[in-house]
Amino acid sequence: MPERRTPSRLGGQDRNGDDTPPDVRFIRVPSIAERKLGREYVAPMRLDPRVLDQMQETIRGLETKYAEALKSQVSMLQILVEPACKGDTEARGRLYSLAHDMRGLAGTFGHPMVGRFADSLCGYLENCESEDWKDGTVIVFHVDAIRDAIENPKTDAAVTMETLDALERLIEASRRDRRKRG
Amino acid sequence: MNGGPTSADPDFFGHLKVLIVEDSVEMRNLLTALLETMGVADIVQTRDGKSGLAAFARHKPDIIITDGAMMPMDGYEMTRAIRAAGDAEGANPDVPILMISGHVGRDKVTHARDQGVTDYIAKPLSADTLYKAIVAAVSKPIHFVEKPGYRGPSPRRSLDARRS
Repeated sequence: MPERRTPSRLGGQDRNGDDTPPDVRFIRVPSIAERKLGREYVAPMRLDPRVLDQMQETIRGLETKYAEALKSQVSMLQILVEPACKGDTEARGRLYSLAHDMRGLAGTFGHPMVGRFADSLCGYLENCESEDWKDGTVIVFHVDAIRDAIENPKTDAAVTMETLDALERLIEASRRDRRKRG
Repeated sequence: MNGGPTSADPDFFGHLKVLIVEDSVEMRNLLTALLETMGVADIVQTRDGKSGLAAFARHKPDIIITDGAMMPMDGYEMTRAIRAAGDAEGANPDVPILMISGHVGRDKVTHARDQGVTDYIAKPLSADTLYKAIVAAVSKPIHFVEKPGYRGPSPRRSLDARRS
């Protein structure tokens, strides 16, 4: 059973002094390890470097499969750009979803710049208005940058960072235009 | 250190049931593969917060790993519902909930904390970050706050996104 404490008995950073409302209670919740192992458990649980090595090996084992999936996702991005910019809401949703997946996964599987370009695209799309979609410039340049990062993975890191900076400047210019439009 | 199963090895993780709530099939597959490598044998997958909530009641997981943005119910709403569930037919409302998200802005992390998330992990994910977050989540006791309208880890605590 959780151990319940009134605020006045609680030490540590959760203590709220005299301001604590009387209907607030602090409960020490036992850890899952305590629940599962009972008296056998002695904190702290130590990390096992062998497990971590195996996990990293698991990621490496999935990289080839992911690289294939990533190529088809980028092809799909290129197909979706035109209908999305012309107003197809389903295409817009799918385009964002693909970019969102790349943002989350590409970095894990050894494509950090794809992840960063996708992150930049997602950030732009999350605040994108109808006029931005119609213009399409920022979106097209991002999709081109993602495609290029996959096709030329050995590109100098400085050049890739320069591309990312250029995209950020493009986004900022787009925002300024939006503010002018009111 | 005694000789019991207190280290973060497959002997311990083999006892755990983990619920993954994630709309990306690639991310679900990655998390499943990593958890299996850790020794977790009992893994339940769902693709959004609504089905995650149902799976929480049905499967009674020991730990939940969830995405943030999902439709029709996101990971934030699901977390709040779980914390408010009371003893949902034996399911543990105090279950550690790790949120893995591409949204790492302060507002999102704070929102996650305020819903009762235990820990927040930024995408892209690394083996190291996931492993440390899971070990911390299952091995450290937590002080929960219980007040009208909220039950969960202290909403006053500092929570930063773990980054790889």
